[in-house]
Amino acid sequence: MKVFKVFSLLLITVGLLISFNSCGQSETGPIEIGVLLPLTGSQANFGEMEKNSFELAKEEINKAGGINGRKLEFVYEDDSGKPDVGRAGAEKLISINKVQLLAGGYSYSVTFAAAAVAQQNRIPFLVNTGSVDKITQPEDFNLTTEDGDKFYIYRLNPPVSEYASGLEGMLSEVIKPSTVYIIHENTTFGTKGAKAFTKTCDKLGLKVLGTDSYSSGTVDFKPLLLNAKKTNPDIVYMISYVMDAALLMKQSRDLKFYPKMFIGAGAGFTMPAFKENAGKASEKVVSATLWHQTLPIPGATKYFDDYVAKFGGDGPDYHGAEAYASAYVIKDVLERCNGKYDSETIKKSLDKTDIMTAFGPVKFQSYGKKIHQNKMNTYVVQWIDVNLKLIWPRDLANAEIHYPIDWAKVWAE
Amino acid sequence: MDIFLQSLVSGLLIGGLYAIIGIGMTLIMGVLKIINLAHGQILMVAMYITWVLWNFLGIDPYLSIFITIPLVFVFAEGLSKYLLHPLIEKDSILPENQVLMTVGIGMVLVELARSIFTSDYRSIQTSYTEKSLYIGKISLSFPLVIAFIIAIFLTIGLFYLLSKTDLGRSIRATSQDKFSATLMGISAGKITILTYGLGSALDAAAGSLLLPVYYLYPDVGPLFTVKAFVITILGGLGSTVGAIAGGLVLGIAETFGATYISSGYRDATGLVIFLIVLVFFPGGLKRFTKV
Amino acid sequence: MEEKKTKLLDVSKTEWIILASAIVMPFIFDFSPYIQGLLIFILLWVILGSSWNLLAGFTGQVSFGHAAFFGMGAYAAAIPMLHFKISPWWGLLTGGLAAVILGYLLGVLVFRLRGPYLALGTLASGEILRLVFGEEEWLTNGHVGILYMTTWVSKYPYYFIALALAVCALISVKLVMKSKAGFYFLSIREDEDAAEALGIDTKKYKNVSMAISTFWAGTAGAFYMIYMGFIDPEVVFALHNISIITILVGIIGGVGTIWGPAIGALIMVFVQELFRSAIFGIAPQWVSGLHALIFGVLVIIVILYLPGGVVGDWKLLLKKLKLSKSLEVSK
Repeated sequence: MKVFKVFSLLLITVGLLISFNSCGQSETGPIEIGVLLPLTGSQANFGEMEKNSFELAKEEINKAGGINGRKLEFVYEDDSGKPDVGRAGAEKLISINKVQLLAGGYSYSVTFAAAAVAQQNRIPFLVNTGSVDKITQPEDFNLTTEDGDKFYIYRLNPPVSEYASGLEGMLSEVIKPSTVYIIHENTTFGTKGAKAFTKTCDKLGLKVLGTDSYSSGTVDFKPLLLNAKKTNPDIVYMISYVMDAALLMKQSRDLKFYPKMFIGAGAGFTMPAFKENAGKASEKVVSATLWHQTLPIPGATKYFDDYVAKFGGDGPDYHGAEAYASAYVIKDVLERCNGKYDSETIKKSLDKTDIMTAFGPVKFQSYGKKIHQNKMNTYVVQWIDVNLKLIWPRDLANAEIHYPIDWAKVWAE
Repeated sequence: MDIFLQSLVSGLLIGGLYAIIGIGMTLIMGVLKIINLAHGQILMVAMYITWVLWNFLGIDPYLSIFITIPLVFVFAEGLSKYLLHPLIEKDSILPENQVLMTVGIGMVLVELARSIFTSDYRSIQTSYTEKSLYIGKISLSFPLVIAFIIAIFLTIGLFYLLSKTDLGRSIRATSQDKFSATLMGISAGKITILTYGLGSALDAAAGSLLLPVYYLYPDVGPLFTVKAFVITILGGLGSTVGAIAGGLVLGIAETFGATYISSGYRDATGLVIFLIVLVFFPGGLKRFTKV
Repeated sequence: MEEKKTKLLDVSKTEWIILASAIVMPFIFDFSPYIQGLLIFILLWVILGSSWNLLAGFTGQVSFGHAAFFGMGAYAAAIPMLHFKISPWWGLLTGGLAAVILGYLLGVLVFRLRGPYLALGTLASGEILRLVFGEEEWLTNGHVGILYMTTWVSKYPYYFIALALAVCALISVKLVMKSKAGFYFLSIREDEDAAEALGIDTKKYKNVSMAISTFWAGTAGAFYMIYMGFIDPEVVFALHNISIITILVGIIGGVGTIWGPAIGALIMVFVQELFRSAIFGIAPQWVSGLHALIFGVLVIIVILYLPGGVVGDWKLLLKKLKLSKSLEVSK
């Protein structure tokens, strides 16, 4: 009796599992593309921003006639910001939804783990945010840079080591500093970013007076800032997330710490919340950035305005733009597939991508250890009279660099 | 020298806040004999209450402690009465059931906060959050100074409660020896429930005081739970004076660590010291203070 | 041989049937890799949960830092691969051993503690290891983690390996608990001082329990590395996602029971996935955000009403369910 019960219970479970087993791509219905994003967990607000951007792009694309008459559909899978969940999610998209192209990829560890799944299943994966350098380095997938035709990972955003590349020109042509102090959060993003910037400094002949890290949960940055102040650096370079960035600037102002320039490495320094929290102390702070809505890129401002109109709030930052651009790259890629939407055709089409998006030009190239990497410039912005203005590269800029800065006056009450 | 003094002062100010968090934990650990893994989450709840009061009703965060403290007190009483206390009578294999219950409570609180407030960062900007006081070259953050002063008043109040009132004596008696306390006519059950509320209320006060200098998101709690552990163990379990000392020591150690140890090992160093005190110096600072 | 074991282990008919169906199922049904992945995860949690349960549930030494051993096993498999191109498969041997060594060293330190102090000591140890493995980049690749292109794309081999490991873990717990050592474990759990007074070398037996427990935790970690192909310190030394979830698996299933962790693992993975996928896509998307909340509520309910867990309080559970049914009928 008991045996029978257990057995029937097992059967029911199995039945349930099986029923959840079948659905796939049809010939005429919408073309489904899998998107892996953190929709719950601590990274959920960025996941949500990217999802909204994918949706916004999808509606525009479908309204304009879709892909050669067929509708485009994104199937989202929540990775919770955890590599194991992300891996399972990627597997689900590939095996159950039978998607022929994966997109998304927010955190570096989830993207890295999911990339291995895509690679093994020979499904192309268009990464739009995961920034650790290794993602587009075939040597970490047991391949060489010659194996472009066997490597299924493509990346639209620059790797973390190139986040601050736009600063180089400004530093060497305008600021001409000789010393620098680096402060960063002790996460992968912070540590890698600090290392990359140290290399940049070596190249530019800048002396790094010190590098200091802090862990999340630091309430009082004053001791750390005093250490920096003591060395009297020309510029202070900071890699921090938005709230820590605001605290750092507020407390620098408290301490009357006046280097020639405060430079943020993107991340938190360009967000509206930074300005709101840092208040006066945000004024004249410079930051590298991957994207800004005022950039003279066709579609950038329109995307920003449409997003705000549709979803409200402060509007998207570069994460959203990356997702929006990714959707348009996907549209372009699929349109060049001539009606055959299988993974190999899509991959071949990805190889030939060369379009302009709201995030900038997208073309996958090989250089150094990387292949299938979109090489792009980054920009420099400055908070001028509570507005974020593009100041570098000079030919695109919409404001003059405010430099030198009289901090005592700028930060006065 | 400036750097030294600045670190010391910054550390003391932050330590004052840590001390209240720690006293809350040490009360709970002393009487309930459990580690409260939801301590940081209760802090988070208090911070959200403060934020809502400020954001929607415009109530100053420092005034809001008069609302936050009773609210969280009642809330924690409820948790203690309906979720934690019943477990004492339950026949279970592991005495740690209550600890695990606090894990469950913590999980639920975080996820509730996330579904209500989303994962966005929240903070409070008042007219004085950006102000600083200067003594010579040393800068003191104005909100931290206020927080420190309020923390001192709260501690004095608590001391009065513990040493001069019947309720306080009952709490101390229960903490020292539950069985004997029961024999003396103290309702240990009631005291236990009450203590959880009281400890959480202190935690809540710390939350309100912390918000103007820090920021808030659903996962903010565990950070402070860990700090509370370190303080309680440093100070000696159940010792309020120890917790104050422990809080100040932790605050100062952190700022000096930030000044003089420049590596990712800062956090690890703290934990190693914690482990050493835990294993080799059980009783922590209580050995010296005897209170 | 099989029969002899049967006697010693006292394997019930139900247990045979579950094992047999676990082996046969993949041949009958065509599971998608996604379902296979879930099954493998359940088995992984069975190993980890049983490992914790031996130390905490049977010996009374509640560890809040089991991630330390899991992570140690995972890195024992990954580091030789990273530096010397040694296959991580060797980790199935070395992972367990590395964890045992770590467990012994930690035991020297934390077994002086009891109750909440032991919990805090193990918790801190796990966190220290997480920070160290994140910081020592030359050895561990730091926060970036270690990637390994897994041996097979198909999941069936992993399923059977995980199944074998889980069965071995369960058998070893069962065997130990039948032996003299098992009784000593229980007496340490019930009253350590009394056990000591009766002449039981509590220190030794706590270490024995620790060794078996950490061996399985380390092996589970090594298997995780081989199967997932990606680890970083935040993943394998996670306080919440490994240490705490391990405990909750034990608690939900039933502390101090052989089958408890297995049932707990099944429930944990099932509930989590059920809600994460928004009840297989039937429910609206926002439901998927609730999976952690639901799991937390489940934990509270189980601790409150089934202090012995689903297995420990199976009869109580049946009674409660039946009672509610009869009430409904009477209405």
